[in-house]
Amino acid sequence: MTSFIDYLIGGVSNGAVIALMAIALVLIWRATRVVNFAQVGQAMFTTFVALTVQTLTGSWALALVVAMVAGAILGVIVQFLVLRPMRRADTSGAIIATFGVLIALQAAVGMIWGGDAQAYPQPFDNAGIVAFGRIWPISVYDFVVIGVTILLVIALSLLFTRTSIGLAMRASAFNPEVARLSGVRVSRVLTFGWALAGVVGAVAGVLVAPSSTVSPTTFDILLVFAFTAAVIGGLDSLVGAVALGVFAGLVISLVSGLSNSGNAPVVALVLLALSLITKPDGVFGHHKARAV
Amino acid sequence: MLSITDLTVSYGPVEALNGVTISVPRGEVTAVIGANGAGKSTLMRTLAGLVTPAAGQATLDGEIITRKSPEDIVRMGVALVPEGRSTIPELTVEENLRLGGLWRPKADRRTTQAEVFDLFPVLAERQRMRADTLSGGERQQLAIGRALMSNPKCLLLDEPSLGLAPLIVTQILHLVRRLADETKIAVLLVEQNAVTALRMADTGVVLNLGRIVQTGPASEIASDEKLRHAYLGY
Ligand SMILES: Nc1ncnc2c1ncn2[C@@H]1O[C@H](COP(=O)(O)OP(=O)(O)O)[C@@H](O)[C@H]1O
Ligand SMILES: [Mg+2]
Repeated sequence: MTSFIDYLIGGVSNGAVIALMAIALVLIWRATRVVNFAQVGQAMFTTFVALTVQTLTGSWALALVVAMVAGAILGVIVQFLVLRPMRRADTSGAIIATFGVLIALQAAVGMIWGGDAQAYPQPFDNAGIVAFGRIWPISVYDFVVIGVTILLVIALSLLFTRTSIGLAMRASAFNPEVARLSGVRVSRVLTFGWALAGVVGAVAGVLVAPSSTVSPTTFDILLVFAFTAAVIGGLDSLVGAVALGVFAGLVISLVSGLSNSGNAPVVALVLLALSLITKPDGVFGHHKARAV
Repeated sequence: MLSITDLTVSYGPVEALNGVTISVPRGEVTAVIGANGAGKSTLMRTLAGLVTPAAGQATLDGEIITRKSPEDIVRMGVALVPEGRSTIPELTVEENLRLGGLWRPKADRRTTQAEVFDLFPVLAERQRMRADTLSGGERQQLAIGRALMSNPKCLLLDEPSLGLAPLIVTQILHLVRRLADETKIAVLLVEQNAVTALRMADTGVVLNLGRIVQTGPASEIASDEKLRHAYLGY
């Protein structure tokens, strides 16, 4: 029983990172009906940028901020690469293009930083906290990860509900024609959405890096979990992305702890299949049927 | 004043409008009536910038609005209430209205919102509710309110009566009449529902298969029996 609870506690910070990546996928899906598989490639690229900054300056926070800025810029570039050439084509072409961008990013990272896995410095104490006479499966760093995620989620929900750009983003996602007729410059708003998703993904990358390593393909597994969480959450729903992201973290931790970590992706895919069969609109989705 | 001159629009081989010329003076309601497929929506969507015309132009107080983007046209003072449900159901009433004037300074937006609430008191009562909880008539008021939030000089209404009960239609068209009288907005209204539209319009225009077959005072158009039989089907 203790180990069961320990696995759950240990899964929270991993779940927070999955939630962030799922949010990035949902942001772009809501705005452009494209699942951006390049998102993890972008996060990996910006994490290498962060690693370079961290190595040069020794500042974890500065590296995080630089990664966020790089994430925004990269998001805009990827949108341009993926959507501009096929403005009038249907979105399935764009989704395939995101795979192309992912592969290109992995190749670029390999050329710039090399293909080997590198360690990302641990900015805070990563040892289990000792309290009430025992060691808990959660560290100071885990609390930093959870804290940054909560702050980001709060900031995003304020952005969406309290600001003009947030209203413009929601209106452009729900009904671009009415948004344009209202004077909203929808294409600029969509670009802002890709930039924002890039920022969120960049944060996820920097947060998860110290617990794994960084290499061109390290984050691919994160895509599997984030995609599963986003789809089960309904793809349209930020609440769903957060809830299912954290839930995925817990499940992975349990599966890895009770069997072995290689089983986690299989469990994720089984959950994804079950969810698509039983609740095709997702647990939190409220839209009509869609093709996946 | 909105002046439409020789407007021609084609969708590939389909010619939807052919040489349409209409003047819509400020403070007046001009009703374009015609059967389904006559080209009414095409006219409105072209004026709002959603469709590019093949020939001809439209000006508002002398400034050319055709071939500009919808975002710019609404800033120039032309606002369209498109056909069907043109509110965003997932947003609240207040958010739908705010959207309509999002590009304007906050203070101006506040003033206009107060005017919209005066005109449509029910929207003030339902501010915080999602638009999909409103009745059909309330939703149409919200759609018009959203367009008014841009403080337009010219309002384009595409079949506001669609799917509404006759009593509600009369009520909404009366509000439109009041709007033209009080604010001196130029209103261009298109309707299949000819009787009610002509009763409150100043000028009537009959559109058939993309061409204007008659223009005149609304009361004359309404009492012209030959016209009614030939194009309006009653
Ligand atoms: N997007 C479009 N593509 C091709 N043809 C269209 C399109 N929209 C309308 N049409 C055609 O143009 C004509 C006029 O349509 P429309 O302007 O919607 O008429 P109305 O609003 O009077 O019913 C019709 O023949 C219609 O089939
Ligand atoms: Mg129509």
